[in-house]
Amino acid sequence: MNNKFDVLKGEDSGDEESVEMDVQTTPAPHPGPGEHPIQFNYSLWFSKRTPGKQTTRYDQTLKFVGSFSSVEQFWSYYTHLSRPSELSGHSDYHIFKEGIRPMWEDDANKAGGKWIIRLKKGIASRCWENLVLAMLGEQFMVGGEVCGAVISIRYQEDILSLWNKTANDHVTTSRIRDTLKRILNLPPNTIMEYKCHTDSLKDRSSYRNTDVFMR
Amino acid sequence: MSARDTIALGREIPTRKVILHDVAHMPSDYSSTPGGTIFSTTPGGTRIVYDRAFLLQCRNSPLTKSPPLNMAKIPGVTTPAEPEKPKSNGKKPAAQKTGENPGDEPQFEMDI
Repeated sequence: MNNKFDVLKGEDSGDEESVEMDVQTTPAPHPGPGEHPIQFNYSLWFSKRTPGKQTTRYDQTLKFVGSFSSVEQFWSYYTHLSRPSELSGHSDYHIFKEGIRPMWEDDANKAGGKWIIRLKKGIASRCWENLVLAMLGEQFMVGGEVCGAVISIRYQEDILSLWNKTANDHVTTSRIRDTLKRILNLPPNTIMEYKCHTDSLKDRSSYRNTDVFMR
Repeated sequence: MSARDTIALGREIPTRKVILHDVAHMPSDYSSTPGGTIFSTTPGGTRIVYDRAFLLQCRNSPLTKSPPLNMAKIPGVTTPAEPEKPKSNGKKPAAQKTGENPGDEPQFEMDI
């Protein structure tokens, strides 16, 4: 029964990296007996800006934590990690499909973009969990469009983002926006921002100069 | 209209009937229905779909109690707190104050 899922899992890991990968990763083990397989394997990453050293390249701050292929494997990572709100300083968790690096330049991301939701301090852990569970449980219904999710802990606010593959696919991006509103239970007047990775590459900024949408 | 839209055009969702003669043939977890998952067919093809409540329930599985063997060690992020030192006999540990527990889950459980 698992075979058909394994075939589907291949659909996103097709193209081999053209950019070389500095970070060592390990593949996700197959789901063990009694485990519930998920549609796609995912990898968990952590990054933290070194205080003072603003010149450190982003990919050098990126740490690979592990990969998983089942609900139980996910929880065994998640429950042994600090919650986002317990992280200090300028830190991020990234959960991306296995084979996609949490970088604008990755082949799967370069034509893509992300929805951004700014959170007031104190609710990041709950919102992050809801976002991740929706992604792993395939609640977005946009085929293979979702690339990954990020929670960014900052000094004044925390920022949730969901990355997708094709920034100019408006059917997909609006479906993702509506699903985000539903699963995060966002108030109707919540401001949501979208930013294409090509724009992020131009201004070297993840969360400035975004396109703002309000319902 | 993009190519994607034309792919998504309507197609009848196939159904099939599964008749059970014994309770023992029921699937072992409630996210499944006899013969396949509830969400066995979606416009993009067969996908494994789980809702939040089911995923949260899986958190309690014994399989999640220890960290994965190859989990990276990052101080302050993945490194568990120091295991408690064994207490000497005779002294009753101070009564635990309520509200001091930082989270609703124990951070780490030792497998001995």
